[in-house]
Amino acid sequence: MGKAAYMKLKGSFHFRQRLLLATLSTKAILIEDIRSDETSPGLRSHEVSLLRLIEKISDDCSVEINETGTKLRYKPGVLVGGKYLVHDCGLSRSIGYFLEPLILLGLFGKKALSITLKGITNDSKDPSVDTFRTTTLHMLKRFGVSLEGLELKIVNRGAPPLGGGEIILGVPIVPTGLTAAHWVDEGMVKSIRGVTFSTRVSPQIGSRMIYAARGIFNRFIPDVHIFTDHRSGPSGGRSPGYGVSLVAETTTGCLISTDIAISHPKPEDMDTMEDSYEKPEMLPPEDVGVQVASILLGEIEQGGVVDSTHQGLVFLLCALCPPDVSKVRVGKLTPYGIETLRNIRDFLDVKFVIKPDPTTNTVILKCVGCGMKNLSRKVA
Amino acid sequence: MAMDQEQSHKSHRSHKAGASAKKKNKKGNSEEDGKNKNPKAFAFNSAVKAKRLQSRAAEKEQRRLHVPTIDRSTGEQPPFVVVVQGPPKVGKSLLIKCLVKHYTKHNLSEVRGPITVVSGKSRRVQFIECPNDINGMIDAAKIADLALMLVDGSYGFEMETFEFLNVLQNHGFPKVMGVLTHIDKFKDVKKLRKTKQRLKHRFWTEIRDGAKLFYLSGLIHGKYPKRETHNLARFISVMKTQQLSWRSSHPYILVDRFEDVTPPERVHANMKCDRNITLYGYLRGSNMKRGTKVHITGVGDFALTGVASLADPCPLPSSGKKKGLRDKEKLFYAPMSGLGELLYDKDAVYVNINDHLVQFSKVDEETGSSGKGKPNDVGVTLVKTLQQTKYSIDEKLEQSFINLFSRKKPPASDNGHAKGNVPDGQHHDGHSGGHVSILEEDANHSGDEVSEDDEAGKNNLTGDSDSDGFDEGNDYATDDDLEDDEQMNPFSHDLNEEVELHNGRLRRKVTSSSFGNNDHLQDSGDDLQEFDDDSDNDDVHDDKLHSSSESSEGDDDLNSGDEADHSSKWKESLLARAMSRKNGNLMQLVYGPSLPVLSTTSRDADDSSENDEEFFMPKGERTKNLGDNLSGDNLNAEDSSKFTNTHLKDWSDEDLIKSVRDRFVTGDWSKAAQRGEGEGMGDDGTVFGDFEDLETGEVFKDIPGDNNNGGSKNIIKGNDPEMEERRLKKLALRAKFDAQANGSDLSDEEDHNKKKFHQNQAGEAGGYFDKLKTEIELRKQMNISELADLDDATRIEVEGFKIGTYMRLEIHDVPFEMVEHFDPCHPIIVGGVGLGEDNVGYMQVRFKRHRWHRKILKTRDPIIISVGWRRYQTVPVYTIEDRNGRYRMLKYTPEHMFCLAMFWGPLVPPQTGVLALQTLNNQAGFRIAATGTVQEFNHETKIMKKIKLVGHPLKIFKKTALIKDMFTSDLEIAKFEGAAIRTVSGIRGQVKKAAKAELGDKPKQRWESGKEGVARCTFEDRILMSDIVFLRAWTHVEVPQFYNPVTTSLQPRDQTWKGMKTIAELRRKNNLPIPHNRDSDYKAIERRPRKFNPLVIPARLQAALPFESKPKNKPPRKRPLLENRRAVVMEPHERKVHALVQNLREIKSEKTRKLKLKEQEKRKAYEAEKLKDEQLSKKRQREERRERYRLQDKKRRKS
Repeated sequence: MGKAAYMKLKGSFHFRQRLLLATLSTKAILIEDIRSDETSPGLRSHEVSLLRLIEKISDDCSVEINETGTKLRYKPGVLVGGKYLVHDCGLSRSIGYFLEPLILLGLFGKKALSITLKGITNDSKDPSVDTFRTTTLHMLKRFGVSLEGLELKIVNRGAPPLGGGEIILGVPIVPTGLTAAHWVDEGMVKSIRGVTFSTRVSPQIGSRMIYAARGIFNRFIPDVHIFTDHRSGPSGGRSPGYGVSLVAETTTGCLISTDIAISHPKPEDMDTMEDSYEKPEMLPPEDVGVQVASILLGEIEQGGVVDSTHQGLVFLLCALCPPDVSKVRVGKLTPYGIETLRNIRDFLDVKFVIKPDPTTNTVILKCVGCGMKNLSRKVA
Repeated sequence: MAMDQEQSHKSHRSHKAGASAKKKNKKGNSEEDGKNKNPKAFAFNSAVKAKRLQSRAAEKEQRRLHVPTIDRSTGEQPPFVVVVQGPPKVGKSLLIKCLVKHYTKHNLSEVRGPITVVSGKSRRVQFIECPNDINGMIDAAKIADLALMLVDGSYGFEMETFEFLNVLQNHGFPKVMGVLTHIDKFKDVKKLRKTKQRLKHRFWTEIRDGAKLFYLSGLIHGKYPKRETHNLARFISVMKTQQLSWRSSHPYILVDRFEDVTPPERVHANMKCDRNITLYGYLRGSNMKRGTKVHITGVGDFALTGVASLADPCPLPSSGKKKGLRDKEKLFYAPMSGLGELLYDKDAVYVNINDHLVQFSKVDEETGSSGKGKPNDVGVTLVKTLQQTKYSIDEKLEQSFINLFSRKKPPASDNGHAKGNVPDGQHHDGHSGGHVSILEEDANHSGDEVSEDDEAGKNNLTGDSDSDGFDEGNDYATDDDLEDDEQMNPFSHDLNEEVELHNGRLRRKVTSSSFGNNDHLQDSGDDLQEFDDDSDNDDVHDDKLHSSSESSEGDDDLNSGDEADHSSKWKESLLARAMSRKNGNLMQLVYGPSLPVLSTTSRDADDSSENDEEFFMPKGERTKNLGDNLSGDNLNAEDSSKFTNTHLKDWSDEDLIKSVRDRFVTGDWSKAAQRGEGEGMGDDGTVFGDFEDLETGEVFKDIPGDNNNGGSKNIIKGNDPEMEERRLKKLALRAKFDAQANGSDLSDEEDHNKKKFHQNQAGEAGGYFDKLKTEIELRKQMNISELADLDDATRIEVEGFKIGTYMRLEIHDVPFEMVEHFDPCHPIIVGGVGLGEDNVGYMQVRFKRHRWHRKILKTRDPIIISVGWRRYQTVPVYTIEDRNGRYRMLKYTPEHMFCLAMFWGPLVPPQTGVLALQTLNNQAGFRIAATGTVQEFNHETKIMKKIKLVGHPLKIFKKTALIKDMFTSDLEIAKFEGAAIRTVSGIRGQVKKAAKAELGDKPKQRWESGKEGVARCTFEDRILMSDIVFLRAWTHVEVPQFYNPVTTSLQPRDQTWKGMKTIAELRRKNNLPIPHNRDSDYKAIERRPRKFNPLVIPARLQAALPFESKPKNKPPRKRPLLENRRAVVMEPHERKVHALVQNLREIKSEKTRKLKLKEQEKRKAYEAEKLKDEQLSKKRQREERRERYRLQDKKRRKS
């Protein structure tokens, strides 16, 4: 004690989870060799932005980055939360990148968190804010988080590359801790909901996507409602873009979601492409509709109580439960999920029992939670 | 199950005669009579009263309830800790001795360390004697399940008792029982009874009304009477443990065995080198994982180098249907007191033989082979050889030419301890008996040992033990005859098994040729083959201790050691083996085949690099497993949770549609239902038997057609544990069922009904509280059933070591003082440190000075805090929260009131009890200075205190003034710009800016001569030079970042620990007076009337004034004015009126005069009467008194 013992890690790999788990388990970490071999070494701007965000919601955490940005020393502080916070997420990654760790950090804070995040709302790399609103927030219910105060409001939408979106996220704190979940029954898909977005493009694009997607879903289920959210003016951000986020709800209340967003690529991505200086064509909305429907059907086919995007989050939630057995069923383990499991083992010392269920081609995971409590909360 | 035929029992026959019959009769009669006489007397007459009584009853009922907590312990419970506490010379040790004698029929010579005793068929008790110093008391209080508080009845309560009670109250209040001793000192029976009564009531006020106070009357042959000991034992045996929140959330171990396992050569080289120790004890509190950090009370925080579960040294008797315990099962285990015949270590068993039973060692040396009965005894020879060893292992290694190993280890480099040479027992002082360490050579059995199936998971792969074995092997290899002897030695085989079963030892691998293919190496005809099997371990458990020769235990040799010795070679092979074995295992894929040791600390730098590599090993793995999207530089791969499947299927394809058709509600529901159930079936086929809902009494029938029925029948036939398991599963299944009924909104009518039924039941039984309780019960059952199907190794991985296992903890780099000053009489507690509890920060504690502590506590005076497992000295700042949420600093703790204490120290979760002491020495009065609970922790404090800056005017302009002495620098002024100030006379103002020499000013002013800190201020009026100006503000108070662990285990126990001194102590020591500010003295304020000078108007001004405003100097008059001199003459009418009024007045005054006279007379009469009465009564009283005194005197004379 006294002098902090740093946990040594390497590479920028799974930066978010490392920061998240280090903060929750209050372990100091030292990350070395962050893109040290690349032409542009060091932390990316979104990673720095995430560090800033964590600094904003916690007290007395210390972050040291060396000159080249290839080495990071992070010592977590006490999570505080608070109201009326504003954070600019930058334009290199979308808000979804920040939301995933933020929602967990918010749960274990001293006060409820209410924060305005600015940046890109829909992106192809990260889950969109729509998916977050419709699916991720509802997942927390399973782990004993009350839905009161848990909200996400999309003020402005912003597509890459210029962004301009703005959301307001409210996360309540958990009074003591989560509750272990027993979540294996996936049920049958009873309805499909969704929302399309379109910014700075023709308002018809939304309905064209819906039309295409419905065409596929009609063969499976009649209960399909996809809403359109067309934004123009300042609430539409600064770049054109469109996309869909779909959620399939099952009879047992599981939500399986997928999303897709189409926009002009970012300048740095364009550099990697062959120097085609004119903007490349965006995927036509019909194709987008078909694609997103196929992805969703793929997810449904895989089975599991959550979709592949949310696997990591579910594992994290299970591991943060009190020392009771949590049990979840997922489809195929994703690389992200696997890495999450490894990180959980390293930081929280929680191992999952992973058993394939051959009859349904799913995987059942069981774990005994690490007994995480909300320690920073003040007791009266 | 078929219990339908009611067995007719003999009915109870009440006494018809004798004392009890009479008592019962009387009681019944009187009640009946009362009821018969006046049946209305016990009914309510008033509705209001009825309601009030009802609400009171309800309130009492509610107050009784506590929030139910989940008890996560399963299986065999650890021994029940009974702490025997009391002031010195009260008979603590004697009580323990008597109780041990009662349980085991053994006489205990002295009580040192915990003594574990099997007290019943399903119960063990561990006695500790609480040491007499406050540190020991605090430690003992933290682990006590039952505190026996001994009180000297002839003396009364002593401070220790109350101190201990207060410690208990703050660290979770366990069960407490008072024991009164030394009652035989009373000669007078009445006095004895009175004293008992008094002490009992005092005890009750401290704990609760009706708390048990036990009386031990006198000694018989130096022992407490047998009957009373027996009764006390019965009281102990029915005590139940309580769930205490701190303990149930932290694993802890009361160490009952302590060994120093530092390599002797290291100690030899440097006596003060850091030691390696092993600690043994039962795991309590909660499950313990391998990576847990621990705190050893009085020493500090350590990482565990090795954790292993050992065979229970004091196991419960095998459950059979018999009354009481057989003599064989009356075990006891107290290695620190030198009791218990066998000691298990991970790779050895020590047989403890009393000194008077063993003689050969010395006899041999002196007389050679004397005519003892068996000259060729194996054990004797073995020990003799061991004793005759002349060379150290190193030397032997150098000499030895039989090299069994392909890779010779350089002898200088190993740090294994020379166990073959020196029995371990010599390191610790607690043993009276001699130790014989029986060690085993493994090489010749290597054929059968590699047969580990899943044991690799259990291992804490270590190198230290590796080198041990290596040494041993070599040692034995050098002399062959010894080896031969050993093969006959029954111990050796057992040990062999143990050692080898779980280890990835170098030696083994080299000798066994067919190492790579793992499964079929159990070929050798060794008679001990069966012990390999994990499944057999349970059976072995029971009959292990009383027959030492069979004491092989499969799982007690989980190895431990430091990572430094990870030799790559065996790891490689292990890795390869694991790879080859578990191809389909997802867990292996995810967590990797090798068990990574967390690269947590940056302490061992050379090590971590290797570990990091291992940690990031998955590189190659990942690319293999996870396909193409993660190729490239993995360390810096993109961080995205979104998983994009690159190849999309064409969902217009009919086959594909069919494949997912059943996933939709439009598809086949029965298939979906099967899918949902699939996992239950997959887990364990026997789950779905017929079962009965315990609550509703309904019987659920299994769906026939499966092969379950056979399975369930088998289980019914099986023995008790299986039955138990089955029952639990049923309960869990019910839980599942309930969850379904509540969770899904199925319109199924039956379900609906059932749901209603359950809700109704819950409502009837007591609503919310019972609901909570059932929820917790269901959660527990579910936990048990979910983990039941895992094998032991995975189970330890997943949930940690279970409560109640006997643990061996190896800890490296412990200060040598701990070993040197080890005292078995002081309990050593190893407590697990929870998540984030090893961090340091500020804590806010709700704090109250103990009302028995003599002095109030001063801010920034160091206090010793005991919280959680820790004890440390810190410097608190006391505060109180103002109405506006500001934390205001207090100089002293308030009287009879809670305040807040902020201090710096290792964090603990909120609501943990805190105890503060100011001194640890034994001579002090009541040592507990304050108590409290943690409210919050933080990394910053926001404590403010009032500050008053005082200044004086330097120069006054119209309404502006320059103020000096208030600030010391211009910078400070800048900070206070705009702050409100005030003069003593009440003129308000504001700080403007620092005064500066401006162009228009006169150059040679005093304040400009380089002096800073003069502020320009404006006021609402012109101030005077005599005014004092002050500024009231709040300033931040820093809490010192200081904490100092109280390391009482690292010093002789009789010395008091010395920490930081309080200011008062420092002053006393250095003979400094208390600083005295004379301005702060309270003096009577004397205010002289202020003399104002007459107003002087300058002549020029006077001249300019208008006449009206000019001062007029009039000379004094000699005669009064005419106005005052004139006479008044009345009119006739006026005169008449005046006369009339005068007359009326006259009449009135006459009347009142008369009235007054009358009153006076009356009063006089009354006074006289009263005097008379008084005299009379006085006289009577005197008479009475006289009579009374006479009687009293008479009485006294009589008696």
